[in-house]
Amino acid sequence: MTEIHHFLASLWYLLLGGILMLYVITDGFDLGVGVLSLLERDDYRRGVMMAAIGGVWDANETWLVLFGGALFGAFPVVYAVTLHALYIPISAMLFGLILRGVALEFRDHAYNRMWWNFAFGGGSLLAVVAQGYALGCVISGLQVVNGKFTGSIWSWLSPFSTVVAIGVAAGYTLLGGTYLVMKTEGVLQARYCRHSRYAAWIMLFCASAVTLITPLINDYIALRWFSFPDIIYLIVLPCLALFAFVMLLRSLHGGKAHAPFIWSLMIFTSSFAGLASSLYPYLLPPSLTLDGAASSSATLMFMFVGIGMLLPVMLVYNAYQYVVFRGTIKQQE
Amino acid sequence: MYLLNDTELLSRLQFALTAMFHILWPVLTIGLSLFLVVLETLWLKTGEPVYYHHARFWSKLLLLNFVVGVVSGLPLEFEFGTNWAPFAVLGGDFFGNILGFEGAMAFMLEAGFVGIMMLGWNRVPKGAHLFATCMVALGASLSSFWIMVANSWMQTPAGGHVVAGQFVIDDYLQAIFNPDALNSVVHMWLACLETSLFVIAGISAWYILRGRMTGFFLHSFKIAVMAAAVVAPLQIGLGDSSGRLVFNHQPAKGAAIEGHWKTNRSGEGADWSLLAWPDRDAQANDWSLSLPDGLSLLATHSLHGKVKGLSAFPRDEQPPALPLLFYSFRLMVAIGFWFLVLTLWTLWRWHGGQLNTPSVAHNHWLLRAWVVSLPLGYLAVECGWIVREVGRQPWLITGILRTTEAASILPPLSVAISLTMYIAVYCVLLVAFLVFVRRLLRAGPESGEASIAERYRFEGRQPV
Repeated sequence: MTEIHHFLASLWYLLLGGILMLYVITDGFDLGVGVLSLLERDDYRRGVMMAAIGGVWDANETWLVLFGGALFGAFPVVYAVTLHALYIPISAMLFGLILRGVALEFRDHAYNRMWWNFAFGGGSLLAVVAQGYALGCVISGLQVVNGKFTGSIWSWLSPFSTVVAIGVAAGYTLLGGTYLVMKTEGVLQARYCRHSRYAAWIMLFCASAVTLITPLINDYIALRWFSFPDIIYLIVLPCLALFAFVMLLRSLHGGKAHAPFIWSLMIFTSSFAGLASSLYPYLLPPSLTLDGAASSSATLMFMFVGIGMLLPVMLVYNAYQYVVFRGTIKQQE
Repeated sequence: MYLLNDTELLSRLQFALTAMFHILWPVLTIGLSLFLVVLETLWLKTGEPVYYHHARFWSKLLLLNFVVGVVSGLPLEFEFGTNWAPFAVLGGDFFGNILGFEGAMAFMLEAGFVGIMMLGWNRVPKGAHLFATCMVALGASLSSFWIMVANSWMQTPAGGHVVAGQFVIDDYLQAIFNPDALNSVVHMWLACLETSLFVIAGISAWYILRGRMTGFFLHSFKIAVMAAAVVAPLQIGLGDSSGRLVFNHQPAKGAAIEGHWKTNRSGEGADWSLLAWPDRDAQANDWSLSLPDGLSLLATHSLHGKVKGLSAFPRDEQPPALPLLFYSFRLMVAIGFWFLVLTLWTLWRWHGGQLNTPSVAHNHWLLRAWVVSLPLGYLAVECGWIVREVGRQPWLITGILRTTEAASILPPLSVAISLTMYIAVYCVLLVAFLVFVRRLLRAGPESGEASIAERYRFEGRQPV
């Protein structure tokens, strides 16, 4: 019985990881496009940026909604504790997402677009930074007693989480930049290549700093990283990320259209997998274990039938919309 | 400064605000997306361009409405954790599961196809476009199904028991199809359709009244009236059975809604107050205008049926804000009946041959009544939700978890700030939406495609 429970809980850990991963890379690039729009002075170009994500941003954001619901169902305690602890960054993220979402549609109707341009860029940046702080807080560990958050509501704010937030912002900007490289041509494409390079270097710097500091502040992760034989599996992922980084820089210099985005995705997937495997089998080390925080086996099973088995269908129709909206912006209009 | 020190009250206000603001948008998304399915199907079947132009026109309104619905729904997915962590822990096994279902089966379906529906007109074949529209409509309606299931489980929890502070499910079907579920799913879904029909007909009537493209808008007006002729009476019937369900499963809520204090003796009927002022301190109505035996008839469908009075419950199990409940309920019911009357009035005129291009413009009062009724559906929906949620108090999950036990422990100031931000942001969204919709409607279907203006220009120029 406990073995089945452990299997189901691990399965949901994997599924939730997959859903969050899909959210991070898909909404990551359209949030990144939003951040980049802050650097844009020309309104026509800003319109191109928004058009590049116009057909797909809503579905991208929905992975977050799905993640929220599925986490709530599969690990209610984690959902409750994390959101309670992250009240301020989560609220900030929500305001950011609200502003940028409506700006994408309202901008076309407005006589004075300046406010909506700012809402789009500023909202995106706010959401990105808030997500970075939330991640930083989770990596540093939350103070939990008896399934209740007992720490300060400001525990997400620290120098460490600030580095994480800058890194996440740079990473999303990289995704957005390379996505735009894929969706544009000529002068614009060269411009986004340049932006992507800057973002990539900032991200590399922050990611290295985070990797060095994490074992110092989180004993559990230190234990997990420096134990044999785990260290052998775990070392593969940062190596993959570094390899992808080198390839990314090469493809950006080589003027490739699609390759930079693909390599950025690979950087994200391997870093993400590295993070997820560092935490396993705890959800919020050291207080909440996977098995202890999970809902009953019956719920996990029921949810697997209702959500897990639908994932392939969701992936198919999400892919279909990318096929419908393929091509560069110039070809589209 | 009582308010600024009370986290629970602030969290309740914030949830009430975010939920009441959010519900405004899916209502029209659900109804209008189904309307678009009808229009597109008619277009593909008959090949009449008028249906195509209608679909293009109404989808502009849908898009503006949809985006506000999407973004205002986000906070609700997270507030159960941020502001109601103890509730999330206790109810997560079921409630979180159902929210997950909503995301996977409904919301993702809607979001995955809405891009194609809105921006894909020239990118996919007609059939594929209709398919996308159908998926959006299906997703929107499924979403209402799961949300109402989750909410009705809070009203009449079933199918499980609480062990060590967590609700454990014994029987999924019982929990999903709890006593309140089916009725409230259909009641809310019909409310979405009815509100949307009165928005569609109201906007159409506004154009007809102004003599703009009369023939064009008579199409949408007639479709909406026909549908309202089915939906309006059905909704009244459903309201009646919802009422009886409340008296069966949430008797304190029922008594509070009706301002009914004393249980009637056997052999006597309970009076129904048309108007009254319920007073919680006095445990009686300050004054009332009552119909003898009316409440027994409504609640039990028999003249002398027993209806438990509010005084029979301990004070800490009585809902608060009684006048609010009492009058919200009456306003909702009055709007329901007014919609039926307006529909019947219009059908009668239609039967008299008045709904044709030259003569319809002479029915000023009828058309004005439709224009004025446009926002009433929203009002009824909000009133219904007030009755449903305030009436459930002091419980968050009836009989299982009190609202006072369910709030996250947060510094009140942080909630006060987020609440203020929500008020500010939502005011901006609402005003911007109304301004843009006004622009959209003033520009009308004529803008954009020249061919539409050409085709319908001469139909509408009737002297009014």
